[in-house]
Amino acid sequence: MKTSSPPDRSLEHPIIWVAVIGGALGSILLLKAVAWLAFPLILAVVLYYLVQPLLQKLQLAGVTPGQALGIFLGAATVLTVIFSILVLPKMLGFLADFQNQIPTYWERLQSVLRDNLLALEDRFAFAKKARLADGMEEQLNVFLAGSGKEYVADVALFLLHWLPSLLLVPFLTFFFLRDGTAFHRLVLRAVPNAFFEKTLLLFDRMDAQMRAYFRGMFGLTMLDTVSLGLGLWFLGKGPGIFGFWDAMFLGLICAIFAWVPYIGSGIGGILAVATVAVKAPQSSGLMLAVVFLFLGVRLLDEFIYTPMTVGRALRMHPLITVMMIFSGGMLGGVYGLLLAMPLLGIFTVLGQMFAEIWFDPRLRARYQARGMLEKRLASKDLGI
Amino acid sequence: MNLANLFRPPPMDPMLKIVSGVAIFRDCNRAELEALKLHLHQRHFLAGEIVFDEGEEGEGMYVVIRGKLRANRKGLLAKKLLGVIQPGESFGEMALLGAGPRMATVVAEEDTTVLAMFRPELQALAQARPRLGYKIAMGVALVLESRLRKVAEGDSSQPSAT
Repeated sequence: MKTSSPPDRSLEHPIIWVAVIGGALGSILLLKAVAWLAFPLILAVVLYYLVQPLLQKLQLAGVTPGQALGIFLGAATVLTVIFSILVLPKMLGFLADFQNQIPTYWERLQSVLRDNLLALEDRFAFAKKARLADGMEEQLNVFLAGSGKEYVADVALFLLHWLPSLLLVPFLTFFFLRDGTAFHRLVLRAVPNAFFEKTLLLFDRMDAQMRAYFRGMFGLTMLDTVSLGLGLWFLGKGPGIFGFWDAMFLGLICAIFAWVPYIGSGIGGILAVATVAVKAPQSSGLMLAVVFLFLGVRLLDEFIYTPMTVGRALRMHPLITVMMIFSGGMLGGVYGLLLAMPLLGIFTVLGQMFAEIWFDPRLRARYQARGMLEKRLASKDLGI
Repeated sequence: MNLANLFRPPPMDPMLKIVSGVAIFRDCNRAELEALKLHLHQRHFLAGEIVFDEGEEGEGMYVVIRGKLRANRKGLLAKKLLGVIQPGESFGEMALLGAGPRMATVVAEEDTTVLAMFRPELQALAQARPRLGYKIAMGVALVLESRLRKVAEGDSSQPSAT
């Protein structure tokens, strides 16, 4: 059975382009409104695409689909129990330590910022005139006394709000894995005969693209984590800043930030530099080395990792990407920032599907002919 | 209550019974047919409605459950009737092997119910159940082999060569 590569079709109709961008932005708004449900739903879809190849491997080993799902669930439960017994207490201990250290870290960060701004003031007259160091200190004090407290309360509420919804993720993933095929058939039942074959093909194409995207993103995150983690560990082990797992954890956080194209890598870089700054405030050379590490990994990402994993199938023009991310951020906050590009990717494929089906004159003629046949059948005995 | 009935498998779905008689699926056992059922799409066509057009990119095959269809091919002057497809027969199998153009136009001659099976789904099924995938692939190969043989022998009136 030959696998056909999908033809490269562009979106020729400007109205489709407008609909694609409008649809992506509209769904960001919608998802924000139902975020409590949408967030676990999206995570479940991602998990579904990540777990599916494992189940397929089990099935290739001679296990039925039901048994494969059972084996996977059993293994996942055992791993969760092991994690809860062995790793979770250590993680909670680490978090408690970290919480105690926050005031110290905050003071150190402030002092690093102040020292650097004072150095700037010494060198440049305009900076001295603007009183950068004092201004920053005042701003931070105002922030901490006012909205900073509210932000902390907001974050705490956010976490309390989200944790129960995350419990839905394994539940939803289980049903996607078990009943995915039946649900797919149910959706296809609604498609008229004339468009049926084409819709099925395009559905399959969309499914393949989403699968490749999510698996690619997973691979990319792992590669970024390992590269950044090893780099940070190597740089930080001399002055004793990072242990191996600390470096890996920071690498993972930065790799997750990098899901937001262009902007995310910058935020990750700032986070890593800030971490070095609070852990070793005197070593400005090390901060510079971390900046170079991030630039290096960015280049690796661009030229090796991304083509290897996600590929360039969903690549948009940088201008559209940046505009979409900012618009998504404005409309949907953090969800908008994270979801703008995947949603644009999905709507692009949907737009292509619609354009290919609806603008095919023969398929439309067949659809209209079916309508006429139905009409004739319905009015057969009416004498009209 | 007849206790022996407890050990008898429940009767087979009438549609699956028809599918089990189709040459391509003849080697499949009952469990495999039940698995196959999840990937079959039931469609109803009205008399006069086109199932697919000659030259259109083919994506799958069909099994006729009820009704009758005719397969036409464009001739130099007029349409050439290739044949009539009856319940229990299949058509469009070549599309299971690759996305080539359809060789004929198939139109429902009366109200017709078909079961459709599509290449991407067959590929997924073959990955999940390689044994079943092998049986279906062999079934398709045998059907095409028998058609080629008939064409070579001079009998080209094969309605299913679509």
